[in-house]
Amino acid sequence: MISDPTMTITGARQRQGRFTVLQKWVSRALAGNLSCLIVPGPEVALSHGLDVTAAGMRITATPRDASVLLIIGELSEKMSEAVAVLYAQMPRPRAIVILGGQPPSTLPDADFSAGVSQAGLIDAVDWLKRALAKGAFSDSPEDFDAAVLHARIDYVCPMHPEVVQNEPGSCPKCGMDLVAREAGESAPEHDHDHGHDHCEHRHHEHEHQHHDHAQQHEHHEHEHHHGHCHEHHDSHEHDHEQHEGHQHSHENHHDHGHKHQHDESDGDAEEKDSGHDHSGHHHGGHGHDSHEHGGHDHVGHGHSGHDHGGHDHGSSGFMSMVEVTKDLPRSADGLAMDWMEVPFGPVFPGLPGGLKLTLTLDGDGVTEGQATSLVGMINESEEGKEIDAETFIERLASAMPLASVSYRLLACLAIERASGLENDSATDHARDVALERERIASHLGWLAQLGRQLGFAWLTDRAATLQLEIRRASGKRLVELTPALQALAARLGRTPLLKSRLKGIGILPSGTAGLSGPVARAADDAGDAWARLWRRLDEMTTSLDFIKATGEPELPALRNIGRGSGTGEATVETPRGEARLSLELEHGQVKSYRLDTACSHHIGLVATLVEGRELGDALVAVGSLDLSPWEVIA
Amino acid sequence: MNFAIVLFAWLGSAWLLAVIEGWTITGRLRLTAPLLSGLAHLGRESIVPRTPDRVFFETAPVLLLIVAVLGAAVLPLAPTLVIADLATGALFINAALAYVLVALIMAGWGPNGAYAMIGGWRFLGQLIAYAMLIVMPITAVAMRAESLVTTVIVGSQDSLWNIVYQPLGFVLFFIAAMALAFRAPFDLPTAPGELGGGVDAEYTGVRLAVLRLARLTLVITLASATTVFYLGGWHGPLLPPWAWSLIKTLAVAVLMLLAGRYLPRIREADLMRWCWTLGIPLALLNIIVVGLLVLVVP
Repeated sequence: MISDPTMTITGARQRQGRFTVLQKWVSRALAGNLSCLIVPGPEVALSHGLDVTAAGMRITATPRDASVLLIIGELSEKMSEAVAVLYAQMPRPRAIVILGGQPPSTLPDADFSAGVSQAGLIDAVDWLKRALAKGAFSDSPEDFDAAVLHARIDYVCPMHPEVVQNEPGSCPKCGMDLVAREAGESAPEHDHDHGHDHCEHRHHEHEHQHHDHAQQHEHHEHEHHHGHCHEHHDSHEHDHEQHEGHQHSHENHHDHGHKHQHDESDGDAEEKDSGHDHSGHHHGGHGHDSHEHGGHDHVGHGHSGHDHGGHDHGSSGFMSMVEVTKDLPRSADGLAMDWMEVPFGPVFPGLPGGLKLTLTLDGDGVTEGQATSLVGMINESEEGKEIDAETFIERLASAMPLASVSYRLLACLAIERASGLENDSATDHARDVALERERIASHLGWLAQLGRQLGFAWLTDRAATLQLEIRRASGKRLVELTPALQALAARLGRTPLLKSRLKGIGILPSGTAGLSGPVARAADDAGDAWARLWRRLDEMTTSLDFIKATGEPELPALRNIGRGSGTGEATVETPRGEARLSLELEHGQVKSYRLDTACSHHIGLVATLVEGRELGDALVAVGSLDLSPWEVIA
Repeated sequence: MNFAIVLFAWLGSAWLLAVIEGWTITGRLRLTAPLLSGLAHLGRESIVPRTPDRVFFETAPVLLLIVAVLGAAVLPLAPTLVIADLATGALFINAALAYVLVALIMAGWGPNGAYAMIGGWRFLGQLIAYAMLIVMPITAVAMRAESLVTTVIVGSQDSLWNIVYQPLGFVLFFIAAMALAFRAPFDLPTAPGELGGGVDAEYTGVRLAVLRLARLTLVITLASATTVFYLGGWHGPLLPPWAWSLIKTLAVAVLMLLAGRYLPRIREADLMRWCWTLGIPLALLNIIVVGLLVLVVP
């Protein structure tokens, strides 16, 4: 199982430094304080039955606080890119542990890999402790570098967006100096800061090098060497996924400026005062970080032109808030603030892993937002490629880690119907018990996630413990656990602040198109996050009653279908809503299939739920939908 | 001398508090855990984010630590065991703790990241909510003691602790103190589930160790202030005065740390609304009641 027999972490994971006596103690301390960032997320670990805390690692909310990157299962291509960024943000010494998957191409090889099991996890922790105690420091650590961390810098003319070069120079049309921007970004003049950044951090990410930066930084704060920096990028600070934001804020400054410029040049053509000139000027020479607001403002209202831009603020140091904000767009609360686009996820403590929520923030109000899944399943089977029925079932079940039993059942049913098998009531009952058991476990997983989002540690711990116990429990044990579940629900009813936190948040009235599952049923009550919480708690009770009356669970397994052919369709009420699978079977092989899930529809509701809410409320609203990004069909 | 003793007591309390916190979370009582965790922080890289405001970024954790220790300087452990027995002690705590806001805004602005920045500004809103509820209950405490000197305030509770004399003030002050220390459920500026750590998000290594120590010290300072203002400070039977001060302080601190585990984070708007529409009228009522008591009861 051990992938690296040398018993030390190597290369880009070690930290620069000689192995002195002090470091021996530090290394031991490091080994005793393992903190891990779970990718895709803690909810996936739980649904696989992994108890990370019991294995001896603390679960952290951020990569900055993590020493171990724990990857569970296969990662999609987009997730691999995000993971490289996360890994680059982790302070060294750091290690990679992969359970049940191949190392993503964007990362160095795993330090330890094993199958998805608690035993594998415990082995990993043992190994990490020994390896860190021995080899946390090295004389010559390697740099971590991955293609995804690089950005290509283009040089564009602020006046003529069509002029794009790959080296600095002046615009052939107007002679202005070209400004740098990251390839793929649209705001023409925003990348002053990027060019600057890349220069500043041309080394790599280590502390000892940062001291260099510090000096460089102080001396060269406002100088811009575009020409020298396009191949140097700091390997860890180029992150769009999780932990940078000002970068985006700058982008937005510029976006705004740009918008206003168009308004003006359309309206009246006072060339001298137009935002174009000014913005070019401002960003060309006076883009002091601290005066961004000033510059932005003047780009916006345009009266003041050149002379009142960066100059003004640069010399007097006074920045009138009224002046600065008077032409910014107003949001619902009437306050004018800078707008910035901030990504939440795909690995974010308050959201399910794999879900990326992009919010445009105005202060901490959300003006707009949208959610995308980075791990969603692709619907169509590859053309002409037939899949063996058993393989198809396994593949579908493992593609949906948060509801694998439901989808296993769905696939079994659809295939059996396609092959013309009659229902068998005994099997059906046993399967239904397994389905209901998964519903309880899944709702507990959602409660743990709610606890993480709201900082309600007791709920997270309690729900996670129960989920781990329930996911493979026998019918008899489930019945024994009934009082524990009732106590949990009663406790939530008594918890102060919870109702005020959830009531009236994320309202989806009944009749909203595309609702399914608990979300739809909660819409018949108040349709808010509070109603959805209670609907899920009620469903847990209902499921327990069903289990009590029916018997022992049995994981769905495909009955003998021989080499049947035909088409079949099945519907299963998964924990998150209705899933429908239709497929075509030919001689026991799945020829084509079509899957439709509740989450595919629910994810589209995010935009309306978050708009105009405060950040905290917006996240609660998204969380209350219990989206599983795996069940979002592309 | 006093300075050394108080500082030692403070560090000891921080260590004990960290041990107790670890105990409640992991269920294991490990005396070396806080030291090892501190050492581990020293072992990790201390990353500087891209284009930070270097001065703000570096200053914030240190400033927060200084603020917490400054506040502690006027809080007595025993009748003579106080670093600075200022004539304006109760006011000085306020002044010192006002800089918590400055430290958090700096920590928010410094690293050049959206999560941190939102966290920093959130705390500005939080200050508007809690600030009056720190000052107004202290006013009532000072009215009873007829002094702002912290040792005199403890002395005034010789016969009856303030928690009994003015329970309303205690409740308001305790809640406001938790908001000031930005502990859950008032952890809006850090909010792991909403801001991925917020003002803490970009700190690693040594800087994070300082920040954590500062947060812990801030909790102890506020717990000690609660002890001095409401729990009769060093008063208690049998044990020496300093021991009572420490026991009470630790008890309040543990309460502050644990309360958050059993509560979801408060909504920012609710915090603001409740503090102003409910908290401030209650604080005024407290002042009136205490004023009447002071006049009527000799």
